[in-house]
Amino acid sequence: MNMKILGWRLIKEPLVHFVVAGAAVFWVLSGRPPDLGERRIVVDEAVAGALVRRYYDSFRRMPSKDEIDGLISDWVADQVYYREALRLGLDQGDEVVVRRMRRKLESMAVADAETAEPSDAELQALIDKDPAHYSEDPRTSFEQVYLGADTPQSRARADLQLAQLRGGKPVNGVPAPLPAQLGKASAADISGQFGDEFTLSLRRLPVGQWQGPVASGLGLHLVRITARDAPSPPSLANIRQRVTNDWRAAAIQRAQAQAYGDMLKGYDVVIVPVK
Amino acid sequence: MMKRTLSAAALLLTATALTSCDKIKDTFGSKPGEQSIADTAYPEKVLWGDTHLHTSNSVDAFGFGTRLGPEEALRFARGEEVTATTGTKAKLERPLDFLVISDHAEGIGSTKALYDAPRMMITDPQLLRWYDMMHASPEQSLKAMGEMLAVRASGKPNPAMSDKAAADKRTTKLWNEHIGTVERYNEPGQFTAFMGFEYTLMQTGNNLHRNIIFRDGADKVSTVEPLDPADAKWPEHLWDYMDAYEKSTGGKVLAIPHNGNVSNGLMWMMTEPNGGPMSAEYARRRIAHEPVVEVTQIKGDSEAHPFMSPNDEFAGYGTAGWDQANLLGNIKTKQADLPGSYAREALKRGLLIEQRTGVNPYMFGVIGSTDSHTSLATPEENNFFGKHTGVEPGAKRAAAEFVPGVPSGRMNWQSLASGYAAVWATSNTRHAIFDAMMRKEVYATTGPRMTVRFFGGWDFKVDDLQGDWVKAGYARGVPMGGTMKPGGKAAPSFIVSALKDPVDGNLDRVQVIKGWVDKAGVAQEKVFDIVWSDMDGKRKLAGGKVPAVGDTVDVATASYQNTIGAPELSAVWTDPEFDPALRAFYYVRVLQIPTPTWMAYDMAKYKLTLPPEIPLKHQERGYTSAIWYTPG
Repeated sequence: MNMKILGWRLIKEPLVHFVVAGAAVFWVLSGRPPDLGERRIVVDEAVAGALVRRYYDSFRRMPSKDEIDGLISDWVADQVYYREALRLGLDQGDEVVVRRMRRKLESMAVADAETAEPSDAELQALIDKDPAHYSEDPRTSFEQVYLGADTPQSRARADLQLAQLRGGKPVNGVPAPLPAQLGKASAADISGQFGDEFTLSLRRLPVGQWQGPVASGLGLHLVRITARDAPSPPSLANIRQRVTNDWRAAAIQRAQAQAYGDMLKGYDVVIVPVK
Repeated sequence: MMKRTLSAAALLLTATALTSCDKIKDTFGSKPGEQSIADTAYPEKVLWGDTHLHTSNSVDAFGFGTRLGPEEALRFARGEEVTATTGTKAKLERPLDFLVISDHAEGIGSTKALYDAPRMMITDPQLLRWYDMMHASPEQSLKAMGEMLAVRASGKPNPAMSDKAAADKRTTKLWNEHIGTVERYNEPGQFTAFMGFEYTLMQTGNNLHRNIIFRDGADKVSTVEPLDPADAKWPEHLWDYMDAYEKSTGGKVLAIPHNGNVSNGLMWMMTEPNGGPMSAEYARRRIAHEPVVEVTQIKGDSEAHPFMSPNDEFAGYGTAGWDQANLLGNIKTKQADLPGSYAREALKRGLLIEQRTGVNPYMFGVIGSTDSHTSLATPEENNFFGKHTGVEPGAKRAAAEFVPGVPSGRMNWQSLASGYAAVWATSNTRHAIFDAMMRKEVYATTGPRMTVRFFGGWDFKVDDLQGDWVKAGYARGVPMGGTMKPGGKAAPSFIVSALKDPVDGNLDRVQVIKGWVDKAGVAQEKVFDIVWSDMDGKRKLAGGKVPAVGDTVDVATASYQNTIGAPELSAVWTDPEFDPALRAFYYVRVLQIPTPTWMAYDMAKYKLTLPPEIPLKHQERGYTSAIWYTPG
């Protein structure tokens, strides 16, 4: 403790500053590296803070006092080994070091993108770039009667059955595990159950009257569209998580490509042709 | 002095940490929750998913080469395009409705840790060898993984690889990250992402694996960590873990056994682990924790085997190669092992045990899943990314070994592009899908998304099919997975309706498979063809047998025509051999017309000549969960 107080006092003394500076100049001039920094391992609040934070991120609880001491000792050992290895030049020509440094730069390049919180304006911009991708599908409500496989016979029957339906008489379709009516179904819903061809055909049908036969991946159907809800413009509030996921995935890719592109510009890559 | 500084720092940080904790809660709480999604009165739409998918966090998946993690897996499943490890663009033609990432709990992240370790710090010669192989080339990496699995099979793991403290630390870190990712992609009503893991239980190389699925969100699931089977030989330890989780959190969790086919008879035994006959208590524990079984996946199909079902001409789909030895190939399979390895036999054994004890341990439902180790859930023949990254699309994979470069006696062409889990849930949410699994209203397919309804009751008539028969099915009967209450002397009747996948092959036929215990106490089985295409025309019964549906596959172009078969097949079927005194089960098998296998698609795409033993066409299929009848 006395040593510590003495230390503080010394640091404040101008004379000491002068002597230290002079010594530094002497060391530099004598060709010896000023290795005071390399030989000093400082555990300060920033270091301890980072260790504790990392521990918290891993275990979702604060470390105990003993555990903090353990973290610190381990960190000190890391520093000692690391610096010794550097002094011995062990970083030279080691492909693992090369690869790890590359990975480190790569992860630095994307670190901001990984943790950045996009503003609402940025997310909205992403939606505006491709509103169709984010818009709620146009929703279609319809009834359908399934007529089974698409054959000349079933097509011939379909006209009669259509007339019957238009005349207000029910028609018994072919039994199948298909809903007789779908309310506010999205294009993906409809395609999943009937196939894409059917979804496209539905778009061309008028609302209100029985129509058909309409072909699907399952056969033939008579269809009556009961309502069509125009696609509501995508609202950020409803799809925030999805847009944020997309924004982040894109930002990470962009950051990585850009960082590499920038660095690459500083190099001439020469490929020597094989003789 | 060091200590004092640090305690101060710690105090300072407590505040920061708490703030970040609140932030975590905020992120999880900011989405519309499951409560905002209305459940329908009964299931109206079948949901499709994969309950068995590995990412780069799985010890073997990483070794096999995959570099895609959980985030890519989730993006792919919900329909986004991702770049597979080998550089190909990958996308599902139709998104999935739900996904369970089931990375191996054991050694989670450890292969990646070895890969990332500084080489000079690896002193163990075996680890150093694997390290160098993993860094040398993808082919060498596969070989290294093969060696790691062989060491695993020997039961003498490398102690340097199983440093428990380091492993625990890795697990905690990865699990917390994983939970965060899954929560971000879970969108109630749209796409359900479940928390789960694989409990990779093995006895030497005998497969007793289970996939674990949680019904709950981060608040509950983050209080536990994936369970490593370590030295366990039987699943009781897992059940204890599940009980403890449910007790401490009020949440729910279930387990799905898979690959009975490579368990050498241990998956569905008549006995308890101690060798004695199974007790009611043990049976009750088993079925309470394991309501569903995965019957089809890339590593073969476990529905039925010709050895037990010689009269079933369609048994033996996807059994070739998988019925010769256990999972790791270190113990040969004996014929006496086969009954304990296949699900149909297990359903029969369940009846026998129930007859003796009053409890049926094997009253399970069935699903299919992929067990893909590429982060890509792809059971479609024409979009199959393989079991692992070493066999992602490429000209050589069809004729390669199961793990290329590792002679195991198993060939990659024995891999099935299979399967999916179909769930009749009342909404696309964790609670509704989980609850449907608990009541077994689920079925398996080998990949095609065919829709199948199955109801059992006492008074269903053919006329029912003309009305709202789904409503009638629920009102007057039980759906797949249910048990019929005794109904007097009359035989039970079943409404069965199957519809093809709108973008896949037509249907050949629908069968009911009945199992029962006869008066002599012997378990029996019989396959009934109940409805098939063109049954009143060209395919009239001939000698009591349904003529084959035909074959339109053109191997040269890997294509087929839907000019045979039918898009839908429905029937009301009454058991013609019913005896009210005998316990029984009934399940449905739906067969497609012949279509090309993934090897045929590869052959056309890469212009290959393949050895004759490689099958180029097959009949894909769906299996429903059974309906049980228990005498009064």
